[in-house]
Amino acid sequence: MSDNAEFSPRIAAFLCNWCSYGAADLAGVSRLQYPPNIQVIRIPCTGRMSPKFILAAFRKGVDGVWVSG
Amino acid sequence: MFARRRFAVLKNLLEYVGIEPGRLHFSWISSAEAEKFQKTVAAVTEAVKALGPAQHMIKDIRKVA
Amino acid sequence: MEAIAQKIREAAKRLLSEGKVDVVIGYAKGSVPMREYPYFAYTPEEAENLTWTSFCCNNLALYTIRRPGRMAVVAQGCVSRNLVNLINENQFKREDLYVIGVNSPGMVDRRKVQALFPGKTITEVIEEPEHLLVKGQGFEQRIERKKFLRSNCLTCVQRNPVISDEMIGEKGPEGHGGNIDNVAAPWEKLIPAERWAELQETLKDCIRCYACRDACPLCYCHVCFVDEAQPQWCGKTQDEADVATFHILRAFHCAGRCTDCGACESACPQGIKMRRLTSKIEKDIRELYGYRPGMEIGATPPMSLFRPNDPQDFIK
Ligand code: SF4
Ligand code: SF4
Ligand code: SF4
Repeated sequence: MSDNAEFSPRIAAFLCNWCSYGAADLAGVSRLQYPPNIQVIRIPCTGRMSPKFILAAFRKGVDGVWVSG
Repeated sequence: MFARRRFAVLKNLLEYVGIEPGRLHFSWISSAEAEKFQKTVAAVTEAVKALGPAQHMIKDIRKVA
Repeated sequence: MEAIAQKIREAAKRLLSEGKVDVVIGYAKGSVPMREYPYFAYTPEEAENLTWTSFCCNNLALYTIRRPGRMAVVAQGCVSRNLVNLINENQFKREDLYVIGVNSPGMVDRRKVQALFPGKTITEVIEEPEHLLVKGQGFEQRIERKKFLRSNCLTCVQRNPVISDEMIGEKGPEGHGGNIDNVAAPWEKLIPAERWAELQETLKDCIRCYACRDACPLCYCHVCFVDEAQPQWCGKTQDEADVATFHILRAFHCAGRCTDCGACESACPQGIKMRRLTSKIEKDIRELYGYRPGMEIGATPPMSLFRPNDPQDFIK
């Protein structure tokens, strides 16, 4: 992967159902363009977020983690 | 809000053990802020790109077996 | 030391024969030197086995968890702080607990003592006020106690119990003069790659026996995350990612609760210095939220509290 000319990271994005997931939805509906590197995981609330998830994501090989409420 | 304290301590801890600051991001975006969402995705992607592929914390199955 | 031990035995006998408590939790002499172990006296006769030495390294607060009935616990500063933690976390009621308070002289690190005599077997350690007389086959040496204290004891700030129903001996000075801020979070000065290397170096001998977790009075979950199988959050292997996951998450679960009692390090058969992780969190909690765990009954743990002006520059 790293010999590609342009490195394309994989980012796990944990998005709150009520906030950022909604924003992602709206961004889609509004046809806003954003980089395709994020893989969205919907969580019921940012309070559901556990450090286990972050470490598990890193262990499975993502290059970055983004948590958004 | 409780989460904010947890994230603060966790982020500090992960940076303390050597996870680069740009690998882990937090943000607050309301469901009306599609533009902020777009900008944040771009910023997060840029930051991670700049760091290159992750080196640490990855479980390498070949090594374990 | 022996005088204190005698008074602890007397207090325990009195409490048990008067029926005030069902059990007295204290320390008994180990079968090998420097390995005092937790002891449960249910009868006045059993109370004869209680002792108090420089090697009382377990945290007895651990044994109050899910124990029915009234209990008395021999508690120095850190143990009493963990008892307060447990009361604040609603694990038992203050009325069910009788604290036999003792000023801690600072406990001695058996590894530091053993390191003086590489390859030799220590058969006896005799307590003197400021010294330890270490004996083995063909050698005998008097060492200065305070040079061999556990590193967490050197920076302790609360040697007297914060709660006690009865004080054995006099209260003493609160600290040993070490400043925790000089030693806490030793990797903060390093760049990320070096920090990761230090973490690997620190954890490389970990055999995942979980003695550190089992010795800790904060770890009373019915199912610990490392034992969860579906989903499995933490792999069972010796792979660096799995070992690091265990240590990072265990340390994180102690956030705002760890009293730096050192029981985890004392319990580790491999001599892993996991306080390098917990001390970072302890420091953060102190600096970000102005909190020291276990100092007062009724205090809200910092992780179940928030303030509108908590730091949040790290959030976009
Ligand atoms: S490490 Fe965490 S999950 Fe495991 S027993 Fe301790 S507090 Fe509970
Ligand atoms: S993590 Fe270690 S030092 Fe902290 S309370 Fe638990 S046993 Fe004591
Ligand atoms: S006690 Fe030591 S060897 Fe055992 S799991 Fe803890 S750090 Fe690893």
